[in-house]
Order: sequence, then structure tokens, then C-alpha cells
Amino acid sequence: MTNTSVIRTHDLTKSYGSLTAVRGLNLSVAPKRITAFLGQNGAGKSTTIKMLLGMTRPTSGDGTVLGKRITDPAENRESRRKVAYVAEDKPLYGYMTVEQTILFASSFYSDWRPDEAIRLLSEYRLPPQRKVKSLSKGMRTKLALLLAFARRPELLILDEPSEGLDPVAIEHLLQTLVTRAAEGVAIFFSSHQISEVERVADHVCILEKGCLLVDASLDHLRQFYRRIELVFPFPPPEGEFRFTGVERIQTKGHQMSVFASSNAEDVVERAHNLNAVSVEVAPVGLRDIFLETVKEN
Amino acid sequence: MLWYKAWLETRSRFLTCLATLTIFCAVFVRHAQGLIGPGWTADYNRLLFVTQQFLVIMWILAVVLLGMGGIVREKAIGTSSLSLSLPVSRARLLAVRVGTGVLEAIALGVAPWTIIFLISFLAGVPILISQVVFYVALLLGGGLTYFAMAVLVSSLLEGEYTAPAVAFAVVLLTAIIFDAWLRPFNLWRMVTGDSYVDRHTYLLAGHFPWRGMLASMSGAAVMLLASIRVIQRRDF
Repeated sequence: MTNTSVIRTHDLTKSYGSLTAVRGLNLSVAPKRITAFLGQNGAGKSTTIKMLLGMTRPTSGDGTVLGKRITDPAENRESRRKVAYVAEDKPLYGYMTVEQTILFASSFYSDWRPDEAIRLLSEYRLPPQRKVKSLSKGMRTKLALLLAFARRPELLILDEPSEGLDPVAIEHLLQTLVTRAAEGVAIFFSSHQISEVERVADHVCILEKGCLLVDASLDHLRQFYRRIELVFPFPPPEGEFRFTGVERIQTKGHQMSVFASSNAEDVVERAHNLNAVSVEVAPVGLRDIFLETVKEN
Repeated sequence: MLWYKAWLETRSRFLTCLATLTIFCAVFVRHAQGLIGPGWTADYNRLLFVTQQFLVIMWILAVVLLGMGGIVREKAIGTSSLSLSLPVSRARLLAVRVGTGVLEAIALGVAPWTIIFLISFLAGVPILISQVVFYVALLLGGGLTYFAMAVLVSSLLEGEYTAPAVAFAVVLLTAIIFDAWLRPFNLWRMVTGDSYVDRHTYLLAGHFPWRGMLASMSGAAVMLLASIRVIQRRDF
């Protein structure tokens, strides 16, 4: 296991004609941690993952996965030996049975754990002889997860892993992610389920229109992000609060709501200096941080 | 295991084509035997020549179908990211698919003629094995160009049905164009044996067309190399 970043990108950009899906992305994913990759539909999350795995070539910029360059096909192929990947649409070959799929996938990886595969097969209640094309969406997702979790990779990349799973399976998935991270596996996963992210992630990256807007630990976000509700005896002087750390200001009558990523104390002090009649500071959840960040841009 | 995957992916198409070609040839030859009167030798050879014409049509349709597939089609049906996330090069993915397709195409060429040979032998009208080998060699040596063309088309075009539709159109158009204006280079006439058959005995005569075969195989190789290049450069 490397001690440096398992994923590192430098000005990674991908354009499709006039549309830029990912622009100048500088990303660094630490080993042995769970990093969540958030963003709206079309934000560029899947495109980024595809570039990391060599499925799509960057228009410009470069990056490494486990120290191997993503733009070099041979190096990228080498990195894929140590990466387990579950794609967004949970692709599986419909003409194979569950058993054939497991047999097929196991043949490519030296880190395959047959005992774990058997255990997960039983736990997920997957019928070995059933053709993949006749499985339900949830069962297909479970099989795709089995193919990733039955290995001991250095890096686990999951694109919307909980999509199609029932609450019990989601719970199991989250526990597995925490366990795997504790075992030393780096996990990089995209999700729209912010409550799930909040439960397991150590680090959060928020992508919007191809740009990385937030790249911080969840602890940092919890510690510094604040919403400050202010009431003034006169129309609030918005301009007085436009300083570093203030991400968004909303004014309604004599009330003002300030969303700050840092320097909440300075906002409070300024409010008191301006004779605010009411000052309320509240911590912000990841959901609000995500929505405010996306709204801001 | 890539070979295993390629086999699982194509086996229903392959087995259906194999059964169709073999049964058609067996029934055609068996039925036609009853129609043959005195002086049967030339008539029977003619029957075999006609059989080859039909066999070529069906074989080409079959190998075009076998040439379909691969990661571009997988992209259309949403499974390409599984194949591409494997620690395997794109060239190898394509090479295994082509290898499987070639082996299946060979089986589709050899099996019907083996059945024809056996039926003829059992019916007491044995045919020369050299004639069978000639027919099979023409079919495979020239016909694999169509397979290569199908692989190239399936590497260029997305869509589950677009690629086979275009590939069949290319087969038809090339046959028409070459027959009308470029007859000496008409691959179809070479593959069917039309250019080599003696019109009196209906036996394939003369030397084996090594140069034509070499040109055909070279064309196939160029198309396969182009396919690899296209797949390596493509975004998925």
C-alpha cells in the first residue's frame, strides 16, 4: 500500500465538442480513507471515474491511480489489477449465470478471495445458476458489489453503489465500506444519498459543472461550516459581510442569512458591531453544504 | 476466461447458424440426389456447385452476425465498463473476439461440407475430397474478408442493430458494384468457385488461387488492424 495519494489528478479536463464535462480537476484521494464524490447529475463524476480507469481519454491534464499514469494504457492496465470498480449502471453480462460471472471475474485478479465470494453469495442470496439477465435490479447490484468485495484491492471505486438496494442491503453496504477502510482499503465513491455519505465518509469532494468546489474532510466541514441567522433593526447591510469564508448571503426584509465555510466568528462580531438585534449560529449538515455549494454556482 | 466469455456471448448465434447451414446442405444434397438421372456425374457436380452458391450466401450472413459484438456493442447495451475495467488491453479484448469468430467461421465452413461428403459417400456417389477441400478453402480464404469487414463495422458503429444492418448493406453493395464494374476482382466469384469451375464437368479446375487468397487475407488483416486502432482510440 502506498502512503501517497491513491488518486491524484492534475488539471484533468474532458471536453465533448463544446461541452466541458470536467474542467481542470485537481483531485487527491488519500489511502485507507473513505472519500465521497458528490455532485448533481451531469456534474462530471462518472466522466472523472472513467478517465481514472482508462475508459475515456482526458482532453488535457493527467493523473495517477496507485502511482500509475492514467494516460498510459499499459500503466493504467497495471493499476486496474489493484482496483475494484462498481460502475453506475452495474454492468454485467446478461448471457452469463451468476456462477459464470463470478468464475469469469475471479480469473483476472490475484487478490480474489474465494471464501469471501462464497460467503457473500450466501449472504446476498444470489442464485448461482440463474442467468444475470433474469435478475432483479437489486440482485444485479448485489452481484456487482460481490465482484468488488470478494477481492482485496488497494482501491475501491464505487459509482452510486447503493442504487437499487433495499434498506437492509444499504446498511450492509455501508458497514462493509467502513470495515474495508479499516482494513486499509482506500474507498472512492460517488453517491446522491447524502445521508449515507455523512455516515461513512472521511473526506468529501463536491463537483459541480466539472469543477471541484469542495475538497475537505467531513470533520473540517462540520467544524467550520455555519449558518448565521441575523436580524437587524434596519435593512441589513449585505456589503459589510462580504469577506473570506462567506459563501452566500440571503436577505429578506430586516433578516439576513449568512452561509459561511469559515470565519463564522467574524460574521457574528461584525453583526454585533452593526447592532444586530438577533444573532443565531447553527451548524450545517452535509446536505445543506452540498445544496448551498451547488446553488452558489 | 476471455475465450470463455466470447464463447458464451456467441454460442447461441453460432450453434443456430451451424445447425441451419448443416441441415440445409444435408437436405439439399439428399433431396437433389433423387432428381439425378443417367449421366449423373456432371449433374451431381453441378448440384455441389449450386450448393456452394447457397452455402456462401448463408455462410456470409452467418459470419457477419458472428462479427458483430465487442465493446462498442457492449457500450450500446451498457456492459462495456465491465469489460474495460478488467486488467486487459483493448487489443486483447478484440483479438480474443476475432479469434473466437474465426474458429467459429471455420467450423461453419467445414461442417456443411463434411456432411455433404458423408451423405454423398453413404448414397454411393462419392465426391473427390480434393473438390471438397477446394470449396472449403475458397470459402474460408476469401470469405473471412467479410468477417473482418463485419468486425470493422462493429468497431465503428454503435447501436445493437445499426452495425449488422450496415454490414449486410456493405456486403450487398460490394457484390453489386464489383459484379458490374470490377468483375476480375469480384471476391464473391472467387469464394463461390464461379471463376474456377469447368462448365462441362462442373469440377473446380486449375491451380488454387493463391494470389487472390493472399490479397483477400491481406485485406482482412488490414481491416482487423484498423479495428484494433479504432477501439484503442475510442472513448467509452
